[in-house]
Amino acid sequence: MTAALAPFAAQADHVSLTAQTRIIAAALAILFMVWILDLIRRDRLQERYSVVWFVAGLAMLAGAAFPGLLKLVADVMGVRDTNVALFSIVLLLLLGLALNFSVIMSRQAAQITRLAQERAIERAREQAAREELEKRVGGEGEGSVRE
Amino acid sequence: MRTLVFIPAWNEEASVDAVIADVRTHLPEADILVVDDGSADSTTERAQAAGVLVATLPFNQGLGAALQTGYLYALRQGYDFCAHLDADGQHPASEVARLLTEVREDRADLVIGSRYAAQPEPLPGAEPEGEDYEATWSRRIGINVFRFILTLATRQRFTDTTSGMRAANRRVMKLFSENYSPDFAEIESLQLAVREGLRVEEVPVRMLERTGGSSFLTPLRSAFFIFKGLVVILVGLFKPRHAEAE
Ligand SMILES: Nc1nc2c(ncn2[C@@H]2O[C@H](COP(=O)(O)OP(=O)(O)O)[C@@H](O)[C@H]2O)c(=O)[nH]1
Ligand SMILES: [Mg+2]
Repeated sequence: MTAALAPFAAQADHVSLTAQTRIIAAALAILFMVWILDLIRRDRLQERYSVVWFVAGLAMLAGAAFPGLLKLVADVMGVRDTNVALFSIVLLLLLGLALNFSVIMSRQAAQITRLAQERAIERAREQAAREELEKRVGGEGEGSVRE
Repeated sequence: MRTLVFIPAWNEEASVDAVIADVRTHLPEADILVVDDGSADSTTERAQAAGVLVATLPFNQGLGAALQTGYLYALRQGYDFCAHLDADGQHPASEVARLLTEVREDRADLVIGSRYAAQPEPLPGAEPEGEDYEATWSRRIGINVFRFILTLATRQRFTDTTSGMRAANRRVMKLFSENYSPDFAEIESLQLAVREGLRVEEVPVRMLERTGGSSFLTPLRSAFFIFKGLVVILVGLFKPRHAEAE
């Protein structure tokens, strides 16, 4: 039974990455990295947030250039179908990225809050200084500056 | 000994004047700061016209961030004690005065005004006027859930975990100006204070019905609130302890 299925399995491995797929994947990976570079160049993306995207692009390129790698990963994961391996890896990667963004967002939310608080306190102090000044000026001018 | 009373206010132009006047009457020695949490109405102008300082947040940041602004201001300006009450007229300043007495006489670091602890006899001549506070059913569920969990988490009995009427000393100002969950201020702050070894005490107080505006707690929000609260308390149990306050 298993022996009868073996050739199909081998064929499935074959079909999952045809030469055409590999070329398209490689082209996409390169395009993707060029796009990242352009975003950095136009100051739309900060370098420190670009690293993870480059790694993703390079991984895609590596997978397209050396399909053996994908086979290796699939074997390590214990899945027979390289497609399943590919999808799970991509899914996990996206999940990790999304979480990473939530972490970054949380940090920035905390920073924004503190900034807003500092500004609020500054405003109260400005008001105090202004009122102090008005009082002094008003006192000297004997009510002439009164509103 | 200087005292700051701060009032978090978000779109409370209808009631902020009255609250300021109330604080002036019952706490004449205290400085007053209104923290305007990015109101769209004239809360800031009304408060300034009433002659108090206003810390206006450039955009709405939520009650937790507003309260933290007050603690931060009190700390930076060197106040010895601070207290806060709602801007909606639910918290009589005469009751806040009783909380402040507790911290001034150093019986506690943080004092919570509790609606649900055994009611005190009002001081003669200081009976707050208005309708007594009645919680909605959705809020009552939340209150009971939190009461139970917080008591478990802190091993201290709390009856009113979401009370926004509090008094504190400098130890608490230091702690809260650095660590104050913007999401779940009331409950997490209690847990935090107890964990840091501060003396937290509840004092029974009277609260009134809102005089203007409306509460933000709809039943749906309450459910979300409870869920967030559970997460916060659970996570709080495993947070590393901070360096001893002071
Ligand atoms: N709901 C809400 N209240 C805020 C906010 N910032 C400051 N506050 C003030 O916090 C106080 C408590 O709000 P309230 O809706 O009355 O809560 P409740 O008394 O617990 O039902 C009021 O004085 C509000 O003006 C905010 O972002 N949302
Ligand atoms: Mg209220």
